Amino acid sequence: MTAEAVRADELRETIARQFGRSLHIRTLDTGSCAVCEQEIRLLAAPHYDLTRLGFFFTPAPRHADLLLVTGPMIRAFEVAARKTYDAMPGPKVVVATGACALGGVYPADPFTHGTVGAVLPVDVWIPGCPPSPLALLHGLGVAVGRLAEKVRDRSFTAADYPERTRGDS
Amino acid sequence: MTAVEPRAVPGEVTTFQVASPDLEAVVRDLANLRLADMFAANGDTTTLRMVWANDGEAPGYVITETPIDDGEYPALSGIAPAAFVEECEIYEQFGIRPVGDKPLNRMMLPPRDALPPDAALPTLGRQPAAEPQEVRAPHTVGGHAFEFPFGPVRQAGTESLYYGLVTSGEEVVDLYLFTWHKHRGLEWRLQGRTPREALFHVERAEGLSAVALGWAFAAAAEAATGTRPPAEAERTRAVALELERLYNHAAAMAALCQSTGLTVGQSAAEIALERMLRLNAQALGHRYLFGVVGVGGVGRAPDADVIRRELPGAYGEFRRAADALLDTNSFVDRLEATGIVTTDQARALGLVGPVARASGLAADARTVPGGPYDGHPPAIPARTAGDVLARFAVMLAEAAESVRLIGEFLGAGAAAGVTELPETAGAGLGWAESPRGEALAWLALDSEGRITRARLRPGSARNWRGFDDACRSQNVFTDIPIIEASFWLTAAGMAR
Repeated sequence: MTAEAVRADELRETIARQFGRSLHIRTLDTGSCAVCEQEIRLLAAPHYDLTRLGFFFTPAPRHADLLLVTGPMIRAFEVAARKTYDAMPGPKVVVATGACALGGVYPADPFTHGTVGAVLPVDVWIPGCPPSPLALLHGLGVAVGRLAEKVRDRSFTAADYPERTRGDS
Repeated sequence: MTAVEPRAVPGEVTTFQVASPDLEAVVRDLANLRLADMFAANGDTTTLRMVWANDGEAPGYVITETPIDDGEYPALSGIAPAAFVEECEIYEQFGIRPVGDKPLNRMMLPPRDALPPDAALPTLGRQPAAEPQEVRAPHTVGGHAFEFPFGPVRQAGTESLYYGLVTSGEEVVDLYLFTWHKHRGLEWRLQGRTPREALFHVERAEGLSAVALGWAFAAAAEAATGTRPPAEAERTRAVALELERLYNHAAAMAALCQSTGLTVGQSAAEIALERMLRLNAQALGHRYLFGVVGVGGVGRAPDADVIRRELPGAYGEFRRAADALLDTNSFVDRLEATGIVTTDQARALGLVGPVARASGLAADARTVPGGPYDGHPPAIPARTAGDVLARFAVMLAEAAESVRLIGEFLGAGAAAGVTELPETAGAGLGWAESPRGEALAWLALDSEGRITRARLRPGSARNWRGFDDACRSQNVFTDIPIIEASFWLTAAGMAR
């Protein structure tokens, strides 16, 4: 194994380990009834305290590793949802949260896509109307595993960004 | 389609037919009542309905019905400023407008450029002749102010909402908000369904008021068909409604602490909130009390033992947090004189709930006779300062009253029970006092018992229109989250 490959392995391990300790969550409401948001806020409350597990909420998509999406994806919100997702650095995971986001409340019709999966690449689905904070914590744990897989799949070279040509910032 | 014959339940709802030319004079005559809602419905002709609430000695509702033949009706928002938002909504949905050329703003439906060019959103009536006016602040006011766009994606764990914040740097000069990102077309969606099918979506119109809005909607269906739920089922609704008020006020207290940067107070309020939510789940099967209210009654009986065992402890946590906060001068000072809504503003805009009660208007839908509160009248706390502190004080007093009422209703006997609705045509109005104020629902059923028009008006749909006045009153940026927490509204309820 070349020295370069060993260093890449170490980097992968480090990042996988670090994501386990410090994972930043951006929440996104695409048309919820406000109850999923209440449960998400309670994740930070003393009974659940997600920071003890290394999760943090961030107000900036640029700092986010995980997008926690509620609501049935209103069509008029699609632009804002895509912009938020695109602003996040990779590797990133999308967690669809609650019955609306999963497609159990609204059909695909002129107002809504009916599911978050119609617009964003969903990695983890958390069912419930609303999902309780414990269900959310479980889903976040699964999402960390998905994120670690995505980190392992990376080469940490320009090959990770086929869409970018040399010279781009 | 069958013609709709509204039934007026004596002492509660009185319906008047008013011809379009007489409407202006009637609205002037009704100026001592509160304009609670205004909406249109299509039948053989488009009918404009105004719902007036009598908050005085004999609480009840008056509905005026006005057929609109020529696409125009008398301009009312000059006389009743509370009508403007609804004038805009009706224009968007039915294409009819008040006489004159007053611009009507965009409300529910997104602007064209937010959707693909070929997208067509259904409306309840015919499309308006021209697009509604886009709300945009001038980029300078007096050469100084500019618009600071904020949203729709906001901080963690909050709903999507867009603020157009007009400022000269620090002071809030003006503020407007968009919620069309969250419009789910609920009133359109409910058409053609039975009330029982529709209730699922009604509860999810504003999940934090699921009991109140569900109750208002179920009561509208019951009024339309002339049924009355069993008394013990109505008491179960009342228990659920008060539990909803308790957890919402705890959540509002947590939000007030968060917005003022008091982490310890926030944690204390959240401990109370979580205990109340767990109590809800244990006693009635759902943390947010979804599925408790049914059409014609309730499907579940509350577990009275659980409530009697758990509520004192949960409310004790709430009270402990509240007392500690009231002893914290830096917290109280931050709330005082922040976000003032004057009595005149509250009256003119037809505000409801704790916001109105903190501004000196002691109205409460629970005082309307004919429901489970008849033998258990709630004390209605009111303040006059109209600031954030007054709203917080009203919420604390209401929470204490809720605990007392829950005990009374459990003592009187709260159980499950449903009166089946006959399949008959009719129309009716329903109401319930949600934690954020009076929730109203009106619906019309055809002879097969399917909805031809459902109108949902959660408290949020009313109170957001007072939010900009509260923010303008000599406030700065950092006051806005505090004012928002004290209003404790949802974007979902506004957008529907």
